Amino acid sequence: MTLTGRTALVSALGALLVGFVLPSWLGIAIVQLALLIAILCDLALAAPVRKLRFTRTGETTVRLTGEAHTHLTLTNPSGRTLRAHVRDAWPPSSFHPGSDIAASRHTVRLPPAERRRLTTTLHPTRRGDHHAVRVTVRSYGPLGLAARQGSHHVPWTLRVLPPFTSRKHLPAKLARLRELDGRTSLLTRGEGTEFDSLRDYTPGDDTRSIDWRASARRQDLAVRTWRPERDRRILLVLETGRTSAARIGDIPRLDASMDAALLLGTLAARAGDHVDLLAYDRRIRASVQGRTARDLLPALTDALAPLEAELVEADARGLAAEIHRRTSRRSLIVLFTGLDAAPVEEALLPVLPSLTQRNEVIVAAVADPRIEEMAAGRHSPQAVYAAAAAEQAIAARRHTADRLRRQGITVIDATPAHLAPDLADAYLTLKSTGRL
Amino acid sequence: MTTAAPEAPAPSLTARRLWTRSRGPLVALLLLVISGVILAALQSGEQHGRLDPRSADRSGSRALARLLAGQGVSLQVVTTSEEAARASGPGTTLLITDPDVLTQKQLTALHTATAHAAGRTVLLTPGSASLWTFAPGVQAQPATGNSPRKPACSLPDAHRAGSVLLGGLRYTTSDERTDRCYPVRGRPTLLRLPAAGNGRDTVLLGSADFLYNQHLAEHGNASLALQLLGAHHHLIWYLPSVSDPSSAHDQRSFLDLIPSGWSWALLQLTIAAGLAAVWRARRLGPLVPERLPVTVPAAETTEGHARLYEQAGARDRAATVLRSATRTRLAPLLGVPPTHAHAPDRLLPALHTHLTVHADTGTDLHTLLFGPAPADDRALVQLADQLDALESSIVSQERHAPREHPDR
Repeated sequence: MTLTGRTALVSALGALLVGFVLPSWLGIAIVQLALLIAILCDLALAAPVRKLRFTRTGETTVRLTGEAHTHLTLTNPSGRTLRAHVRDAWPPSSFHPGSDIAASRHTVRLPPAERRRLTTTLHPTRRGDHHAVRVTVRSYGPLGLAARQGSHHVPWTLRVLPPFTSRKHLPAKLARLRELDGRTSLLTRGEGTEFDSLRDYTPGDDTRSIDWRASARRQDLAVRTWRPERDRRILLVLETGRTSAARIGDIPRLDASMDAALLLGTLAARAGDHVDLLAYDRRIRASVQGRTARDLLPALTDALAPLEAELVEADARGLAAEIHRRTSRRSLIVLFTGLDAAPVEEALLPVLPSLTQRNEVIVAAVADPRIEEMAAGRHSPQAVYAAAAAEQAIAARRHTADRLRRQGITVIDATPAHLAPDLADAYLTLKSTGRL
Repeated sequence: MTTAAPEAPAPSLTARRLWTRSRGPLVALLLLVISGVILAALQSGEQHGRLDPRSADRSGSRALARLLAGQGVSLQVVTTSEEAARASGPGTTLLITDPDVLTQKQLTALHTATAHAAGRTVLLTPGSASLWTFAPGVQAQPATGNSPRKPACSLPDAHRAGSVLLGGLRYTTSDERTDRCYPVRGRPTLLRLPAAGNGRDTVLLGSADFLYNQHLAEHGNASLALQLLGAHHHLIWYLPSVSDPSSAHDQRSFLDLIPSGWSWALLQLTIAAGLAAVWRARRLGPLVPERLPVTVPAAETTEGHARLYEQAGARDRAATVLRSATRTRLAPLLGVPPTHAHAPDRLLPALHTHLTVHADTGTDLHTLLFGPAPADDRALVQLADQLDALESSIVSQERHAPREHPDR
């Protein structure tokens, strides 16, 4: 039960009656009694909240920065008209900052035995699963003096997918892939390493690719075409321990890694490779296995959407064991982690030889543009000291990266904006040189 | 604040919104002013210049003042109690037209000023507060209507005047020496308290209507007025005014000024405020918590490191790091393997061969790249700039020089 502003206003107007007509306890009592009776009547005549029926429909997934609509169908089974304010409560990050009050509230006037659909528009500002919390109804009486209030639980989950901002790089990388493939309209020799087929020579083909033995058999010039190796296995490994929780700019390292993983996964699936995903800190946090190229991207985004970094130290030994369990054949392992000296040298380096023995390994690390900014600072002692500290940090990262490279690992250390394209380029290079 | 807003040359949307928001209070304010002006216009008129000896209005007393002047009585109009007290010396008549508006302090001051001077004090319609000071022992009784009354007493002035338009407040006293005249149902409306040894008598009048221009010519009004006020050669006509500075020290608080009924209304308003609090206190459903992410900026340790360098003044360390970073970047440009980047005997000759094209800046390269720590912060900043200049000169040279192996 609750009161309204109108109650307070009527009570304030009662002061005129008390002041002019009945300045005594009697006057006060009369005003209170009249107001109390009006409030009780209003409460009795308000439509009951408990009996209302709710059903929910609407979108279940939305990309971050997109907009999702959920529909709440409200049925009034009672014999009284419902005049109500309805609040469809979601976590604050489900709305534009500052607009959550306006966006989550609805004003309803619903005659008996009718139903109405209320639409709540969500603009999620954070990735992950957003759960509808509750629906609160404040049902006013006909006089608008008092209201009944109650809540219903109408569950719904909206999965907010990673934004995949690096998909803008996809056309360029796919063009390069087609070039490798020899499928492009340009008359370049496919740069692949796997024999594909023989075809007739056309002027302009590289003479080095003429297969003389076949030409002799056919009495005509034949060229060999090559294609990049296909059906290779790629395992994307996201380390979700504390090093991934650090924030670079406004987003955690993990989100930058996800973006790069999505681009690489999409590209590799188009190139005909099998892509799996593993997210691990001390246990398996997300896993995608054995998907076909067509439903890989939805599966990846769906698996990555609810993933958050944990404030624990990642278990490198357990991670290596899990990777071994999943890779029966030679694979490309892309490990998204940090390049901080201590965790890499103490935990990762001892287990890496067992991985590099049979597989190709890429370590993708997200660098901080703030450090580069600090390293370029000049003109004041403060800025120069900051530059010195930044150079120190860069040197330490380089040292760690060098130690990894000496083990035959490809290391990509790039800022969030460059990580995804750089990683895609590294993959294409490996593919064109037949190292997968 | 709100009245000026619509005129302000603000952006149209803001101005319109401001106008929408403030027009309600503005209309209310306008209504208040208009009703105030109308009320003031209706209430004035009759009361204006009441009992003022300079006013020719119906309720003024200019006629009486002229008559008194004709009788050789000099008249002095005063408006503050201090002036009245100063002027009322021996042989004067003090007329107080509205004693009830005076504060207790002013009444006492006037009474002590006039107590030892022979003369007369005339009070028009005094209430209980002024009676308590000027005529102790006299009680005021509820008012009656004005009509011509018979003297019915032995006071010579009244006897000569005959019937006079009187009424209003009536006074009772137990003092035997007082003259009780013009009674209404047994209680007098004119009371003359005799002098108590200092030769000053006090006259109380229940109504002042017979002093008005309008009524002075009727019955024996003029006669009684002239005899009461013209007994001495000087007449001090005291018109108490609200602007009197001595009344500013009013001891009454704000609550004393509120009519009693409004304290009940105030109680009702308090209840209304309580209801408003109940209205605002109830939320439409509880707050929804947000599972907040960890916010550890990745560059935080590096920034802390920088502040530590600065606090400690670690110029040697900072210079070493900056030089080492520059050497590491220069080595691949000069064709020196990274492992030899920090060896002066490998790096410097390569650097010298590259710089022959450009005129050397004059700085000693060995000191720049391998020298001692700078002496102060300015030298450190300078060192950083010189390292930058060296690096950019090499980079620009590399860019413009023809490449030896133009393979891709």
